[in-house]
Amino acid sequence: MAVGEQEIINNGAMTRQRERRKQLVLLLSRIWAWVFLGIMIVFFIITVQLSSGGTVNFLTVRNSQNILVAITSVLLLGLGQTFVIIAAGIDLSVGWMMSLASVLSALAIRDSFNAGQPLFAAVVIGFLAAIAGAVVVGFFNGVIIAKLNVPAFIVTLGSSFIVRGIALLLSDNTTVIGLPPGVRDYGNNALLYWISGEGGGLYFLNRPDVSGEMLRRMDRILPYPVILTAVVVAIAIFLLRRTQFGRHTYAIGGNMEAAVRAGIPVDRHLIMLYILSASTAGIAGFLSTLRFTAGSAVIGDPLLLSSIAAVIIGGVSLFGGAGTVIGTVIGALIIAVLTTGLVMLNVQPFWQFIVVGFVVILAVLIDQSRDLIMGRMETTG
Amino acid sequence: MSKRLALVLVTTLVLASALPAVTAQDDTLVIGFLPGVVDPFYQVMQLGVEAAAEDMGVEVVTQIPPTWGVEVQTPILDAMVARGDLDYIIIAPTDKDQMVGPLEAARDAGIGVITVDTFLGDGDYVNGPVTFPISYIGSDNVEGGRIAARGLAEAIGGEGRVYINSTNPNVSSVEGRVIGFTEVMENEYPDIEIVGVDFNLDDMNTAVSQTAAVLERVPDLAGVFGTNVFSAQGAGTAVINAGLGGEVQVVAYDATQFAIEQLREGVISLVLAQKPFDMGYMAVQFAVADAAGVTSLPRRVQTGFAIINIDNVDDPEVARFIYQVPE
Repeated sequence: MAVGEQEIINNGAMTRQRERRKQLVLLLSRIWAWVFLGIMIVFFIITVQLSSGGTVNFLTVRNSQNILVAITSVLLLGLGQTFVIIAAGIDLSVGWMMSLASVLSALAIRDSFNAGQPLFAAVVIGFLAAIAGAVVVGFFNGVIIAKLNVPAFIVTLGSSFIVRGIALLLSDNTTVIGLPPGVRDYGNNALLYWISGEGGGLYFLNRPDVSGEMLRRMDRILPYPVILTAVVVAIAIFLLRRTQFGRHTYAIGGNMEAAVRAGIPVDRHLIMLYILSASTAGIAGFLSTLRFTAGSAVIGDPLLLSSIAAVIIGGVSLFGGAGTVIGTVIGALIIAVLTTGLVMLNVQPFWQFIVVGFVVILAVLIDQSRDLIMGRMETTG
Repeated sequence: MSKRLALVLVTTLVLASALPAVTAQDDTLVIGFLPGVVDPFYQVMQLGVEAAAEDMGVEVVTQIPPTWGVEVQTPILDAMVARGDLDYIIIAPTDKDQMVGPLEAARDAGIGVITVDTFLGDGDYVNGPVTFPISYIGSDNVEGGRIAARGLAEAIGGEGRVYINSTNPNVSSVEGRVIGFTEVMENEYPDIEIVGVDFNLDDMNTAVSQTAAVLERVPDLAGVFGTNVFSAQGAGTAVINAGLGGEVQVVAYDATQFAIEQLREGVISLVLAQKPFDMGYMAVQFAVADAAGVTSLPRRVQTGFAIINIDNVDDPEVARFIYQVPE
């Protein structure tokens, strides 16, 4: 009797201990990307200081804004992708979709401005042209994937080539130039301007007209592309977490058959997802046209794999059913901080590939070990 | 937990001390070097930059983009500017229009801009649309295209169909070469027809398959002009693969070891060697001069060519222009 009691108490203690360990692993799997990002930033702050003998500082207003601008393209490509991968799909066409949108919006801005539209209207028309192109491509992808049951990998691979060809044709094999010069202001001006030191101050919306030494001290805080991207991120978070659309996305990725049986209009939903994915890529293309004051049929080419890496690092499961928008934001930040930090350290950016590669694999490992422990908890508990 | 923290800190410090320590003195000039992409041409230019930096006692910070493109070059440029210690940047802009904005931002941050190999706007920094860079140091690419055209025309006997393989649209250097090449063919060689221009987007594999396809499409193709490292090597490889070495003449821009090998094999008939070492060396000299207050620096410097063919490839006076990249 006494022995049996002891065993029960022991078992209870072990269960509690195991429970605590599980909680820890779960917590870790949820926050590791944050922790990793934090460690990386601290690492760069220290090493950049040390390696430059204190003359170069990683933690500056300018650098923080550079990083925010640098993530916009990869992040926008990754946002729609997050939804698609959560629903157990993949969209390989986003890089070239971005290029096509860049060309479309540049042509639309140039031609409508030349036709007498005011600058702001021309820019809005450029935005609409990018989105319109994206809706067409996304609809094409979605219909073939959902209605004809062709694997998403194949469909979007194919459409990426089609989109690439159309972009090169439309741009006549060159950069689309001749945009009104004011376009650059939309792509590069900021909400706030901060001039540090003597005679400086904070300026809201209006770029202070300074030159020389004052100009060097001027930092742009929250450039418009960053603000637009933040708005899109906020919408994406709301969509995924608070709406039926989001719940359906998880449901389809978690168990397609169950989703069908539960009466979710799966086909229609998948088509919407690929339109969404093409659209965020379209916004990325539109923003690149504003930032570089020209459209380019090759601009999104190098970004596809980085954007998928950002999504994976952010904890979206390639098997579907799990992931968050904030995770993708962190993933994109990790990549951008790495690039910037390595350049400031004067290490070749090639190292970025190696580090990102390891982080992607680490992310998947953490994801799997969590699933393993969760699964064990269910079977033993 | 604190042990783990200590471990992280120690690792950080060890790694930090292993990094290339930059001994910063406030009065040393710091010059950034940002070429377009990894290739032997820019590697030789980097040697020139480093040699000049050593001779002149300035410090150089070099970053090389892994792929060609404004979305790759711009974040690296921004990060270099954010260091806050650069006085000048020597850059090969990856697009003559799209890179204007990012480089203007660098200029606004107080960094002097010198472009090498490629230019901004139309390359005329005195009267052109873009005037803020200090100077453009590079080959006369239109003239290089003309030389290539005459060389190819001579090799194919003044008649036949020829094809151009280029890298990227709207990049000043290769665009100029195509313009010069086309101009000479149209004006001086009425019996030569250009069948087309393809862009391989700085990928040699693409250049090979594009050239191979043209060889299929145009069975009587007489010659190919490869406008840079990737184009020329790709075009040469495709001609060899098709077993047409010597039958189809190739003129190559950029004197890589690979191109010289193909010259010796009789596949390439003419190699235009640019002088990337000169470009890199002079760009550093210009930065130092500008910092010292020199105001009469030429806004455009043409670095010239060496023309290499099978007859002079072993002449040391010519061979020294072959791109020598340290192993």
